[in-house]
Formats: sequence, C-alpha cells, structure tokens
Amino acid sequence: MAPNEATIVFDRVNKFFYLQYQKTLKELVQALFFKEKTIEKIHALKDVSFSLKKGETLGIIGPNGAGKSTLLKLIAGVSGPTSGQVKVSGRITPLIELGAGFHPELTGRENIFLNGVILGLTERYIRSKLEEIVAFSEINPEFIDMPVKHYSSGMYLRLAFSVAVFTQPDILLVDEILAVGDTAFQKKCLDKMAQFQKEGVTIVYISHSMDQVRQFCHRVIYLNKGEIKYDGKPEKAIDYYLNDIKHHS
Amino acid sequence: MKQQHLTLIKYLTLREIKARYKQSFLGLFWVVLNPFFQMLILSFVFSKIMKVGGLGVPYPIFLYAGLLPWTFLANGLASSMGSLVANASLIKQIYFPRQILVISTLLAKAFDFCLAFIIFLLLMIYFKLTFTWYMLLFIPIFLIQFLFTYALSLLLAAFNLFYRDVQYLFNLVLTLWFYLTPVIYATEFFPARYRIIFKLNPMAVFINAYRQVLLGGSWPNFISLSIGVGLSVVLWLIVQHLFQKLESVFADVV
Repeated sequence: MAPNEATIVFDRVNKFFYLQYQKTLKELVQALFFKEKTIEKIHALKDVSFSLKKGETLGIIGPNGAGKSTLLKLIAGVSGPTSGQVKVSGRITPLIELGAGFHPELTGRENIFLNGVILGLTERYIRSKLEEIVAFSEINPEFIDMPVKHYSSGMYLRLAFSVAVFTQPDILLVDEILAVGDTAFQKKCLDKMAQFQKEGVTIVYISHSMDQVRQFCHRVIYLNKGEIKYDGKPEKAIDYYLNDIKHHS
Repeated sequence: MKQQHLTLIKYLTLREIKARYKQSFLGLFWVVLNPFFQMLILSFVFSKIMKVGGLGVPYPIFLYAGLLPWTFLANGLASSMGSLVANASLIKQIYFPRQILVISTLLAKAFDFCLAFIIFLLLMIYFKLTFTWYMLLFIPIFLIQFLFTYALSLLLAAFNLFYRDVQYLFNLVLTLWFYLTPVIYATEFFPARYRIIFKLNPMAVFINAYRQVLLGGSWPNFISLSIGVGLSVVLWLIVQHLFQKLESVFADVV
C-alpha cells in the first residue's frame, strides 16, 4: 500500500442499535403483558465522517457512552453501519480484551497457536515465530507447557499481548488495555506501540488517560453522544473535552 | 471456505475436545460411560421389568443404536446453543464467520459420537451379531443428521444471544421430542395410523435408518430418508440465510 493513502474511511456513518430491556423470554412476556418498554433505539453514531492515513495514530476521547467502542467495532468489522460507508484496508489486530480466545485448561503453547489462528496467522508462521513469541512474553520456557490457569495474571496478559504483536498488523485497535496490568506491563505495551508507530502501523487508540493521548497521538477525535465534536490537534481536543466536563459538573 | 477458516475450525474443535478431557479425572471415559450407563438402566427397566421383546436383536443393543444418535443431537444442541454467548469477547473484537464457533462445538460432539460408537461395536461382538457391509452406510446417515443438528444449532445459538433463557424452553421441547422419537421403543409398537408422526420427525427417520443398516443388515428406507434429507436441507438453507442477516448485530447484543 502506498503511504499517505487512507486506510480507514468513514463516510457519513450512522449506527443505530436496539437496547433490549429484557434479556430473558420470561421477562419479555411479563413486559408485553404489562405493556412496558421492551426495546429502545439508540443512535450510537451520528453522521460520523473522517479518514485516517496509513501510519497515523488517532486518539479517541469522550465520556462513557459517547460511542467510542462502537466506532472501534465498526472499524474491526464486527458490527455493520446502519447507513453510510466504512472502508478499512489492511490487517487489523485488536488489543482490546487480551487473551479473549485463551482457554485456561490449555497450555501456554496450545494457546499461542489457538490465539494466533484466531488472529488470522497461519500455523506455519506461528511455528516459525514460536520462540520469539515466548521470549517476548518473558515467560519462563519451563511454564510454556503448563495450563495457563496456573499462570499469574501478569503472565497471562504478557502471553496474550505477545501473540497479538507478532501478527504484523497494518492497523492496531487499542481500547484501554493499559488499564490492566502493572507498571512494567504498561511500559512494555507503550514501548511496543511506539515501535509500531515508527514502522508505519496505523493505530486507533481509545483512552481515558489524557496524558497518554497527549504523549502518543498525532490526531484526536473528541466524541460526545455519538457526534464528532472535534477532530484535529490533540491539545485542542483535550481542552475542548475537559472544558465540557467542567461545564456539566 | 478459505484455508484460514478451516484451520480456525480445527483449532477451535481441538480446544473443545482437549479442554474437556483435561478437566475431569475420568476424561475420555465420561463420554463413553454416559450413554453406556443410560443404556444399562433403561435396558434393565424395559427388558427385565416390562419385558419388551420381538425386536429381532437383544434390547440393549437396539436401545443403544437409538441412544447414540439421540445423545449427539441433545448434547450437540445443548453445547452449541451457548457457543456464541461463551465466545462473546471474541465476537466483540474480531471478525470471522460466526458459524465457525457453532460448527466447531458440534464437531467436538461428533468426536464423542465416534468414541461412543466403539462401544456399539463391542456390544455387537458381545451379543454375537454379524457385521455386514450395510453398516458402512451409517456414515452418510450421520452426515445427514449432522446437517440437521447444525441447522438447529445455528438457530438456537443466535436466539440465545437475544434471550438467555431459551435453554429452559429448549429442555422442555427436547424431553417431549425424546418420547415422540423411537429411541426406547420401536415404531412398530405404535398403531399404524399414528406412524405418520415418525415420517415427519427427522430424528425418527435417522434412528430407524441407523437401526436398519447397523442391526437389520439391510438398506435403509429410502423414501423416509429422503424426506429427512429434504427437511434438513431446507431447514439449513433457511437458517443459514437468517443467521447471515443477523450476524452483523451479534456484536451489538452480546
């Protein structure tokens, strides 16, 4: 792909979804009987347009319920837009819930293969990178053939992170993973992400830590109630956001 | 289907199988012992107490030939129903065809079916029954049953994402269905004018076909079987279409 070409394009994207008030049939029948509300239509993203070039790091900030995670789901392709167009090109690696595909009963090695395949890697590639993945995770090779249920939470996270970073992503989707893990893990993540930045990987970064956003992103979108309130320089976006918080409290 | 998807199916199926066998001390044996003990208890009740006979083969093996496919259906549906909910965190962050989660769960159950089938072969030796070439027909019959079970699994798995108590309703339906299927009895026990219900029940069709090829040493009833195949294919096509339409909202509702 040529540099400066847009890798992510959102063109007047609207996303509605239905919030279900009842999660069981039993509750649903009761609600219908008493004529209660059963579903509510939520306008999660309102006319969102932006495009992101290869190698850019975009921060997304905003209060809870602003639509940040919905935006990420649309980029990841796990959820479709109600109207408008989403175009994404390149290999996507999510760093959202680390170790989502892990099974506690399987060994570290088995989980590396399982998660690698889920992330779209071939068996042959994983086999060729196995030693590097284990080394990067800093897990003692003695433990690699032990079920991961015996791992500490730190080891678990490091292993999952390690598999994810060996996927050679074009686009990295990051949602608050730095909130989990200790300081050493956070530093490891930030270092690796800085390296990805240098290598020209496109990064979309959701965080509540304004310091990290300021330090890390080239560009920031401030999202509120599904609308883009500001799209541009990180400093300005953060000021705008913090100002809004002040006025509302 | 892409190579990568096949690899994914392989790993998810292995995950199911390995995880289960590592979890319990008896591991593999549970799978085999479960239908076996069910067979022992039911055999005792029906052949010793109620004295069921006139089947041409000993009741225990007649029963086991019906329990085997029924267990696959019941366990397959029960576990694939929860397969999407159990993998919610994957569904929310990474895209791959969601059917893969359902089919992997079902393939793990097919593995159980194969293990339990070994017991069937041992029972045949124990009861000194003759092995025939017709027995090989159980493979295509199983493939048809697999398609039927898969179609129902897709439907239940998707529905379970929206309403989590579908399984209680499902258990009730399954119990009724069990008694309307010739698992513990033979269709011949029913008055001829009521036997139409077995023609419309694919599970009855499959179980009769299994018994014909495994124990009867004959061809299955092709007319009944083709109704079963027809129903399975139509159901699968409809459900597949529905599933693909719903797929884009799965990540919003889990």
